[in-house]
This record gives sequence, C-alpha cells and structure tokens, in this order.
Amino acid sequence: MAEMFTKVAVIGSGVMGCGIAAQIANAGVRVLLLDILPREGSNRRAVAEGAIAKALKTDPAPFMSAAAARLIEAGNIEDDLARVAECDWIVEVVVERLDIKQTLYRRLEAVRRPGTPISSNTSTIPLSQLTEGLPERFTRDFMITHFFNPPRYMRLMELVTGPHTDATLADKIALFCDVALGKSVVNCKDSPGFIANRLGVFWMTGAVTQTIEHGLTIEEADAVMGRPFGVPKTGVFGLMDLVGLDLMPHVNASMAGALPENDEFHAINRDIPIIGRLIETGYTGRKGKGGFYRLNKTGGKRVKETLDFATGEYRPERRAELPELVAAGRDLRALMSAPGRVGAYAWAVMGHTMAYAAKLIPEATDEIVAIDEAMRLGYNWKHGPFELIDMVGADWLIERLHAEGFAVPPMLQRAAGRSFYRVQNGIRQQLGQDGEYTDIVRPHGILMLEDIKLAAKPVLKNGSASVWDIGDGVLCFEFTSKSNSLDEQIMALLGKTIALVKKEYKALVIYNEGSNFSVGANLGLALFAANIAAWMQVESLIATGQEMMQKLKYAPFPVVSAPSGMALGGGCEFLLHSDAVQAHAETYAGLVECGVGLLPGWGGCKEMLGRWASDPKMPKGPMPAPAKVFEMVSTAKVAKSAAEAREMLVLRPSDRVTMNRYRLLADAKRRALELAADYKAPEPREIVLPGPSGRVALNQAVAGFAKLGMATTHDVVVSGELATVLTGGDTDIIDTVKEGKILDLERESFMRLLRTPGTLARIEHMLETGKPLRN
Amino acid sequence: MVDVVIAGYKRSPFTLAKKGALARTRSDDMAAAVIRGLIEATGVKPEDIEDIVVGTSFPEGEQGMNVARLIALLADLPISVGGMTVNRFCGSSMSSVHIAAGQIQMGAGEVFIAAGIESMSRLPMGGYNPLFNPALAQKNPGAYMGMGETAENVARKWQITRDQQEDFAVASHRKAAQAQADGKFADEIVPITTKAGVVDQDGCIRAGTTKEALAGLKLAFDQAGTVTAGTSSPLTDGASAVLVCSQAYATAHGLPILARIRSVAVSGCEPDIMGIGPVRASRKALERAGISATDVDVVELNEAFSSQAIASMREIGFRPEAVNIDGGAIALGHPLGATGARIVGKAASLLKREGGKYAIATQCIGGGQGIATVLEAV
Repeated sequence: MAEMFTKVAVIGSGVMGCGIAAQIANAGVRVLLLDILPREGSNRRAVAEGAIAKALKTDPAPFMSAAAARLIEAGNIEDDLARVAECDWIVEVVVERLDIKQTLYRRLEAVRRPGTPISSNTSTIPLSQLTEGLPERFTRDFMITHFFNPPRYMRLMELVTGPHTDATLADKIALFCDVALGKSVVNCKDSPGFIANRLGVFWMTGAVTQTIEHGLTIEEADAVMGRPFGVPKTGVFGLMDLVGLDLMPHVNASMAGALPENDEFHAINRDIPIIGRLIETGYTGRKGKGGFYRLNKTGGKRVKETLDFATGEYRPERRAELPELVAAGRDLRALMSAPGRVGAYAWAVMGHTMAYAAKLIPEATDEIVAIDEAMRLGYNWKHGPFELIDMVGADWLIERLHAEGFAVPPMLQRAAGRSFYRVQNGIRQQLGQDGEYTDIVRPHGILMLEDIKLAAKPVLKNGSASVWDIGDGVLCFEFTSKSNSLDEQIMALLGKTIALVKKEYKALVIYNEGSNFSVGANLGLALFAANIAAWMQVESLIATGQEMMQKLKYAPFPVVSAPSGMALGGGCEFLLHSDAVQAHAETYAGLVECGVGLLPGWGGCKEMLGRWASDPKMPKGPMPAPAKVFEMVSTAKVAKSAAEAREMLVLRPSDRVTMNRYRLLADAKRRALELAADYKAPEPREIVLPGPSGRVALNQAVAGFAKLGMATTHDVVVSGELATVLTGGDTDIIDTVKEGKILDLERESFMRLLRTPGTLARIEHMLETGKPLRN
Repeated sequence: MVDVVIAGYKRSPFTLAKKGALARTRSDDMAAAVIRGLIEATGVKPEDIEDIVVGTSFPEGEQGMNVARLIALLADLPISVGGMTVNRFCGSSMSSVHIAAGQIQMGAGEVFIAAGIESMSRLPMGGYNPLFNPALAQKNPGAYMGMGETAENVARKWQITRDQQEDFAVASHRKAAQAQADGKFADEIVPITTKAGVVDQDGCIRAGTTKEALAGLKLAFDQAGTVTAGTSSPLTDGASAVLVCSQAYATAHGLPILARIRSVAVSGCEPDIMGIGPVRASRKALERAGISATDVDVVELNEAFSSQAIASMREIGFRPEAVNIDGGAIALGHPLGATGARIVGKAASLLKREGGKYAIATQCIGGGQGIATVLEAV
C-alpha cells in the first residue's frame, strides 16, 4: 500500500518540512523538497539542500538510512514549483503566515495536477481561514495534516478536513500516513490547536503557573507531573526545554487569540516574566544555553543546574524528596488529595487538565479515544486523560470540581457513576456523547495482542512468557519478563510451544507489545550464577538456549519474529534464528554482548557468519565474512533502524518492514501464513572458516586498536575469544565447519569469558549504572 | 653488458583513496590509460614491446588474474605483447623496472614497460583474505606488523621527534604545491577519464599545510607515539609507468632517453623497522655503481612516513637539498604498487631537468626490505 504514492512534494524545508520529507523517504517514496531561493550565492537550491545535509547530521536521525536521503530531490519554488505536477501529494510546511500560505496555494493551483491532494502542516491556523477565498476545486482537495516533531519518531498525525474536503481523498491521505509513514491518524475538528496541542499547551501552561503558585521547585514539579501520571520523566519543564522556551509565548498567544473568551485557558494563561528574561538572555532551552535546566560547564566541570523561581538564579540540581509521592504510590487519587502543596499542585494541574479534556468533546472531536490517542502519541503520555479519569474515578473528579465551584463539562458528567472505558464481551468500549458505549474499532488490518488478551486466556504461560492464539492456526509467543529479558523460563516455554505448534498449529510469531522486543539475556542471573560459581548451570542455560534456537530454526513450521524497539543480544539472536523477520521500522538490533565482556552464545556468531559468508556481494575466501562479523560484534554495533539492520544483514533481503507499530502483528501473522503454505525447514549450513591463520590476523588488528587506546585491556581479551569463535577455532581452510562446531566454540568462549574478573566487572557495572564499563 | 635506459615516464594523477576523484576508477583502467599516454609521448612502436611488467601490492580482486596481461589488452597493445604481475609490496613496480632491465641485459627483449598500480579505495590493505601463519606471527611479530607501528618504532629508535616529522611533512607539501603551481607535473600526468569527468590534477597535496595544523592532529597509531596522519603518506589511488629499453634501441629509434640504469639492489632488514629498508639497499646499489651518497645529485626517497624518510636520509648521508625536489609521497600520495615506477621515472626526469650525473630512487617495503635504483645521466 505504501506504493500508492510514488512521489510527494514537500514545500518548506525547515525542521518540520525536512523531517516530514525524511519520513516519506524512509517509506521508500521519492520526495521533491522545495524551499525559497537563498539570500545569497549562486546555488538556487541551497536552502533545501542545506536542510537535507543538516538532517543527515541530526541526532536523533530523521533518516532511517543514508539511502533514504537519496530519495529526496532538492529544489526551489521559483524554478521547480511546476514539478509538483509529478507528485501525488503536496504537503505545505512553510512559515505560519496566512498570507504567505495563501499566496503559495494560489501558485500551486496553477501548476498542480487537478485532484492532487494538498495539505498544510499548520498547527495554529484554522482550515477555514486557510481556504478562505480559494476556489472550490482547491478546497475539495485540501486538508490539514499535522505532524509532530520529530516526524520520524512521533507517531501522531492529526488530520483536519473541511466541509468541502473530498472524503475519499482524505481517506487516501490517512491511509498513506498510516501504512506508509507509520502514523496513527487522529481525526480532529477545525478547532484551535486541534487536540494534542490544545490540551498539551493547557497542561504545560497550568503546570508552570501552578508551580510558581504553590511554591514547588522545578525538580519537585517534574517529579510530581512525570512518573506518577505516566508522563515522560522530562516532566513539564524538561519538555519545555526540549521544545524551546521561545516557542511558548508564541504558541500561548496564538492559542489565546484563537480560543473563545470563556475558554478556561485564559484563566491560567498569564505572562511569566522570568520566561521572557530567559529567552532574552539566550536561555531558550536545549537548543540554546539551557532553559529551566542547564549544564554549567564553567570551571571545567559539568554541573547540572536548575532555575530557582524564587531567586531567578540557577543553582545545582536537587533531587526532589517528596514523601507524598511515596505515600500515594500508584494511587493518583491519593496523590491529588494529599494535604499540602504537592497534593494541591497535582490536583490544580492534572484535575483541571482532565476536566479540560472532557470539555474538548465535542469542540475538538466527538470521541474520547481520539483525545487519549493524541496525548499518548503526541505527548508520549502512558495514559490518555480519560484513562486517567477512569483511574481516579469520574465521580471523585466530578465531586471535587463541584466542591471547588468549577464547571463540570457535560462529557464528564455523562461518566458519572461509571467509567469512560469498559470491556464488554472481550471488546473494549468507549462512552459516547449519547451516553452509550460503543466498541472501539481499530482501523482495518490492525491486530493487537492487547485486544486479544481482553477476550482470551493464554494457551501456555509461565512467569516469563505467554503464548496466545492469534487465529488462523498461528500462535504468538510473548516475552513477559522484566524488560523482556531472556531467561530459563522463556527457553522452557519456547520448548513447549515448539512442540505444541508442531502438533496443532501452522506457524509461530514471536512478538510482544513492550517498548522493546528484548534487551537480551538476564544479566543479573548470569552475575548471580557466576558469583556462586554455578558454572554448570550457566553452561546448561547457554546450551539450552542454543538448542532452542536451533529448534526454532529447524522446526517444521515457519517462525516469524516481529521486533519493535530494541532487539539486543539474545533478542537479536531470536531474529537471526527466525525464518522471517517482520520488523517495525523503529527496530534497534545488534549483538551487543562484547559490551558486557561476553559474546553471542545462542548461535548469534554462527548465524551472522552464515549470512555474511553467503552474501553475494562479499569477496570470496574464508576471511571476509569473519572479518565483517568481527568488526560489528566486537564493537557491539546496534542498527539504528530496521533499514540499518538490513545493511548489517541482521535482516535479510526477504525480511520485511512495517512502518506502523500497530500493524506489526497483523503483518507478521500474514507473513507467517504465507510461509506456511508450502513450508520447508532450511538445510543446515556448512561454511569454510580461516582457522588460526585468520584468528592471528584479527588479533593483530585489535592489537593496533589497543595501541591507539581504542581497545581496552579487557576488549583485547573479549575480542580474542570472539576471534577464536568467528574463525572456526582450529579448523583448516580445506575443511568445512558445521553449525554444531561453531555453537560449541561459542559456548566454550562464553564460559571462559564469564570466569574472567574483567567480564564480571563489566556485568556488575552494567547492572548498576546501565552503562558499559570500559575496563 | 647491454646498457639499459629509462626512455619515458608517465603516471596518473594521484588522488586520495575513497574520497578522491579516482576512487571509482579501476586501477587496471588507470594503468591502460597511462600506458597509452606513455606510448604516445615516447613514440615507441607498440609492436616492439616485449612485455609489460606490472607491480601491485595486492594482486587480487580487480588487481588479480594476472592484471598485467589484462592491462595490455585494455590498452589495445598488440596481441604479441606479454604481461607479468609482480608483487613486492611497495617495491613492486621498482622490481618491475629491475626485471625489465635484467631481461634486456640477458637478451630476452629490447623494450619493456614497467608499470605499477594501486587502488587503495577498492582493495583493503592486507587484501580480502589476510591469513597469517600463526607460528611465524609468534616467532617474528614484525612479519605481519602494521606499517604505522613500524614507523613509530623507527621514530623511537632513531629519535625522530614529532616536530621534526612535521617539519619534513610541511616541506614535502610546500615543494609539491610549488611544483604543481609551476606546472612541473604536467608532462608526467596522463589525464584519466572517469564517469564523473576528466581528472588531471593530483588530489593529495595540501598547499596550505602548516606546522600548527599538523600539530593539532591526533596520533594515528600509538597513543604513546609521535606519528600522525599528517606525517604519514595518505592512502592513495594511482598508476605509473616507465619505458625501459636498451640504449641501442632508444638511440636507433630516437626515443627521448631520460637516464641510464647504473645499478640496482634489494636488501632485507628487520620487519618491525621496515622503514629503514632504503639504507642497506641504497648502500648496496651505490657500492655497485662505485659512487658515494654525496655524489648523488637527485634523490627520490619514498616518504612512506616522515620518520623513516628522515632516518633513512640521515643514515645514508644524502644531501638534503637533493631529496624529493618536487615533493614526496607525504604530499603526493603513495599508491603502494605504483610508487616504485613513479620514483624511478621521476628521478630519471629530474636528472634530465635539473642536470647532474647521478640519481637514485629508493624505498622501504613492508615485511622488512629496501630497494634502490641508481641512474646516471646519458
């Protein structure tokens, strides 16, 4: 479906324009990126070209691969505007000025192919104003597609259509944004700030004013507003630093100008002089000298500092110590009712934000699910405001608003005595404006484990994994351990699952809905075992893992892994032993074991060697494959996208990528069924490896890095073992090496490394700090 | 004995590996163009050429399959012309010259082309399949030692400071930049046509290099060392060729004789200080020629690294002003297999251009060797 557009024009190459262009290119679609002429110089495409060059250096990267960047062609609106006729969609991302946008629309009207959809990425100008005075043939093709920054990573796209917009065209854009660009499309009404920013700005503004009002420190405010409410730990002030303080006054003024006089926003929106002073002195947030937080680098030290509202000066960051948070635990109602300034603050900000969310029905949308989705994906909240209301109880919220003399929005009143969401017959339902519950229907082609779980019980289950029947003869193996780390129990359940699928099912999908597919083996267990010298047990876990991976690979049914987020170490080895991978585009995979002083022990070395050795682009001979794998594994290289994983051969050419996280399971299941049609298990590979001659060559290279200080003392030890495994131990180039031999080498080297103090120190450090130790 | 002369010298532009204008050009194609250019410039009759002897450090991949023969075919030489590939690492194409001269002297032909190639963009250092002998690696670690490490060893042993190395590098760039500005490379360079256009200028020379700029560079091989990328020759792509023939043939056919080969030599040295290779090789060749180092008017001493070039010069006792008059490999680049033919051709050309009686071309070779060629004016 991603192929339905072959080329898209993006006009405006600022951060958003270029980011949108990059995401379209990430989907494999060509982009014509146009901007104005440069003020000076003879290169008339310099502005857009400069934007692409800058994007290639931006972190986090807007592009998923360097190849994606080559799909964008830069141009300018004076010479190249007529070329929008080549494009299937025109996205306008120019400066937020009505006159400039309308002038551009008129010029586009003259050159575009009739019927080509045009959309604006405006966040502040209503569609009704944008289309005012423009012909009907334009308004029919026009809509607002509001992406969030950065467009690659933020999964929300708000779609606003006008009364004249052609519904078929809007569906087409929505489908493209969903399937090709991976966005969750939320339909919004043409109201100020649409949904996410309307509520988000209300929430942030309230949080700032109430922090001052209640005398909280910035750290305290972020501690209250962050983790307890499921908001990213940056909280409000950290978020504003990220977005840019200088944007706030503009956004607030534009919101204030657009909202009706009786809107609650006016009550909380006030000028905060200190923010003005910060902006004037260059403290515009992370892009400037700092913001509410800053890194003070004077005197050679790096000290994290925080703005003190009381003095207006920076002081060293102070961890918030709030007994109220400890006392409330996960009980949000308790937190918002806690006596004193912390409870008062939590209520003042979140209580009113919840109420304001209810007020957005029907102003901004008719569905509560749209508001929750917008806040989850546009502001990375774990729970949407209506989900939060269900957690504190609608009745409690209504009562408290009443008690304090605030109006209760009709939509909130409707939930009195019940909740906004409920599960009926295994289907999640939402409360509508008519007071009735209706099923929440996912867009066509989406399958979520979260939905399946409402209606079914797992087929198999233990403490670390569950197995679900996802229909049509396909089972889904889900990791459920902490961070989806891999342990004995997972291996045990995998064994049972393989036996079950063999008997009664057609295929197996390995998938979960955690933020990461799996961060690898449970290191804590490994360290514990090493500390009590339970070597036999560790070796048996390695052997069991190897056996399971081989079983997975050679099972008489297809296995499809569907990763999203990190798939590291053992997580990556799952991918490597699957018949196919259906990867979410945002998959970060790699064999990172060397970072903790170990090496891939569940067949990762074996699989990577096999892949590189059979890659037709590699030079012949026994050495290129081990050398390539050595380079990646010894440096614990992680792909920063599925596209990069493909370059590393963690994904094969036949593996596929899903852009939309929600569509991953359905795509994986479809792939599994495709493979099941005439499935034959793969034949074991035998490869020629260089043996000791190659090992010496690799060790020589590492010695050079050690001299340069790029490889540490223990790196030399670890890479020495890795070299032994990857070159096939004592093999000779006239022999072929069977998989079993490489697995033996992996296991032996793994065990030798685990007994070294250097490796134990690395594991301990990683468990304590989350960072690699460079010993 | 038959007198053997150098009767022509050409090379491609030398450009930075990976980033340079020749990165996407195969070295056999470059060599074919250079050989065509050499034939055209000298007027030698192609059908008289016995053999082309091509040196390369890594005779595999695009430089494999006896690339010399393939270059002869690419260059549309008469089908009768032979082709032989020679490997002596950096000394490869100087060996080509020596082989050609030897063949002429034993009566196995009168006209040879000795050429050298290296695309360091397209072939990895060490080749695709470095397979070291574990026993040798243990017995003599220098045998497989990286070149940078040997340069550090020489610097340490001969006490060549970083400052001295950088002075030397700045001088190399200055001389090369001046020569380039004065058009002194114009008659030796054969323009190479690539997909992106014609390349006719050297790409490695940094005219503006200063001591300050070099002082700011990171150490390239050893945290405790002195050698940087700025005092090492850059990874380079290029090809070179000289016309080697009997003096009688050159005279009879009116070829432009540049110099006569007076003596040659190779000599081994310890692998871990391979950079000092020119010392014994030069001494041997000078002795065979019956002259001393101070008798030499033109010296082409390959600058693999500042440290080894300085140490070798000192040990041999060359007059500094005679060394690398138009700059050396630190500025021009060092496409391994192509360097030998370049410095022989350059030494011969300079002897003609600058006047004088004797010239020498010498270089160090990975694994612990040196090679030298003494030339005399005709």
